[in-house]
Amino acid sequence: MDRTLIGIPASPGIVVGPVHLLRWEVPDVATRILADDSIPGEIDRFRSAVDRAKDRLAGVRDRAAAHAGPEEAAIFDVQISILEDEDLALQVESYIRQNLAAEKAFDVVLIEWRQRFAHHASPMMRERVGDLTDVHIRVLSILLGLADHDPVDVPKGSKAILVTHDLTPSLTVQLDREAIAAIATDAGTRTAHVAILARSLGLPAVVGLRDATIRLTEGEHAVLDGSTGTLVINPTEAEVNVFRHRAEREARDEAELRLHASAEPVTTDGVRITLRANVDLPEESVPAANSGAEGVGLMRTEFLVVGRTAMPDEEEQYRAYRRVVEAFGGKPVVIRTYDIGGDKLPLGGYPHEPNPFLGWRAIRMCLDESDLFKVQLRALLRAGMHGDVRIMLPLVVTVDEVRQSRRLLDEAASELSERGVAFRSGLPLGVMVETPAAAMIADTLAREVAFFSIGTNDLVQYTLAVDRGNVNLAARFTPLHPAVLRLVKRTVEVGHAAGLEVAVCGEMASQPVMAFALIGLGVRQLSVAPRAVPLVKHIVRGISVGLATEAADAALHADNAADAERQLAGRLRAAFGDASFLGDGLLGS
Amino acid sequence: MVERSVHVINKNGLHARPAAEIVKAAAKFRSDITIVRDDLEVNGKSIMGVMMLAAEYGSELLLRADGADEQDAVTAIAKLIESKFGES
Repeated sequence: MDRTLIGIPASPGIVVGPVHLLRWEVPDVATRILADDSIPGEIDRFRSAVDRAKDRLAGVRDRAAAHAGPEEAAIFDVQISILEDEDLALQVESYIRQNLAAEKAFDVVLIEWRQRFAHHASPMMRERVGDLTDVHIRVLSILLGLADHDPVDVPKGSKAILVTHDLTPSLTVQLDREAIAAIATDAGTRTAHVAILARSLGLPAVVGLRDATIRLTEGEHAVLDGSTGTLVINPTEAEVNVFRHRAEREARDEAELRLHASAEPVTTDGVRITLRANVDLPEESVPAANSGAEGVGLMRTEFLVVGRTAMPDEEEQYRAYRRVVEAFGGKPVVIRTYDIGGDKLPLGGYPHEPNPFLGWRAIRMCLDESDLFKVQLRALLRAGMHGDVRIMLPLVVTVDEVRQSRRLLDEAASELSERGVAFRSGLPLGVMVETPAAAMIADTLAREVAFFSIGTNDLVQYTLAVDRGNVNLAARFTPLHPAVLRLVKRTVEVGHAAGLEVAVCGEMASQPVMAFALIGLGVRQLSVAPRAVPLVKHIVRGISVGLATEAADAALHADNAADAERQLAGRLRAAFGDASFLGDGLLGS
Repeated sequence: MVERSVHVINKNGLHARPAAEIVKAAAKFRSDITIVRDDLEVNGKSIMGVMMLAAEYGSELLLRADGADEQDAVTAIAKLIESKFGES
């Protein structure tokens, strides 16, 4: 048995701890036929299993409400209502009266219901299949005497490694950082939602392990190394010591980097770089502000929608934005409007798409659903009263999208005026350059926007036609591909010529070799995860723009991404020597 | 038996949370409660049934109650649907 599993490093850090295995899947149920005289007892057994499931759900709901908020917890109220459904009880009990054991009776009814929902014409219904599946698993686990696996049950302070197939929204809201110290998933890539979330929470994570949930068992000990993407099961004491030693070294490196948090990010040849932080959740704004970041380069707003049962209203959004803006006391906060597809909306009524990354999403969806978009715009205009709010539009491919958005922004402003609500007019409106189309028409866009921000993840995905969520394509997802570098360079040149700020806000900018490349391509503003701010600052202070430009020029004309990386990495190492924070493979994947 | 028709006027329609609220309200009455949309009739005390209606914004529903407290039941549920479930 191979005791070391290799996955994709998703969030750095080393954790030694017990495995908390969350095998959230419907168990197999064997058919069991009851004797007539055990029917009443079996009905009682079913009812008490439902009661126990409801108790557990109420506990999960309360703790999710405490960790995540009331809206996020509402999903569990829906599951409780499903368990209280009288039709459900009647159907199951009628099967039990026909001599079927409770677990089989429940299984049959839930399979029927899930199929009816899964094949329903309305997407609103299809989205509820997840709740039915959760209920199905929970009650069967109780009836079959299987272990309960809710992540909220992990005692505080146990520093467990959560091992699961994928981190679903209903699992995410249960994450208690005082209990879970690291995450390992079968699915996912470096840029998947789970990886981004783990990095922003500062939780070490390894994703793309493929079969970790099968190869580990609950309570086993493991070492997770988020920097190299390894998971060692039941390590020997010697192995643990090796990892401990590395963890100490990493902690020392980090502490040393943090010393420079207040230093100015200036290159050795005197060029000032602006470093901002990416923020996923309002709660992260205070640690982000303390990281030494000079504002927020990208605040994602998907947290307002994903995993929720209803759209957030203007007031809730306003409070969320205001919280971030106030944490940064007057420094710029760039807020990106919804970057989601119709399938993520709690509204329902939209078809699932075969190709969502090329589908009806982001600015396209927002412009078509202008009422929904204007709620967000009004909240942004109001948040503008509390600091320097800038609005960024995702997935723009034509200048018309900017013009339409500006019209809606004007409408949102007059609606607020009519209501007599305070807001700031004239907020800077910029675009996310994340498609080859936007990069190619940067000159046209530059005439109508206040800033550009390059989203590297999507720019790589759309330029190279590589799905960033596909585990089998992870090696082909190469941000240093010369095609990508040339699009970045073009955008920077055109933007600067028009007098615009051009930032890079993708996660990639937090990798030393990428930060080096971007500065060489002329980028002067980087936005990275808060945790990475000190590292990037250290890189900036150790390089010269002259060296970076020379390296980037070589990379622009390299044969391929690997060649480009060699060109950049060689020069970066020359500047830093073999500093351990550079890592072994500089790109970390 | 009492019947009353009502329009779904909250933007999000009868998605999971409003469906749960309707069922919770219906459970307080002893009458049998049925909700009808086009040719689909469901038990108003079953969340699965109410969700099955897939009633989006603007759809018309017929509320029907039969029993001792039928009038109060229909009034309470109609009021809840017309209150937009607290959505703006």
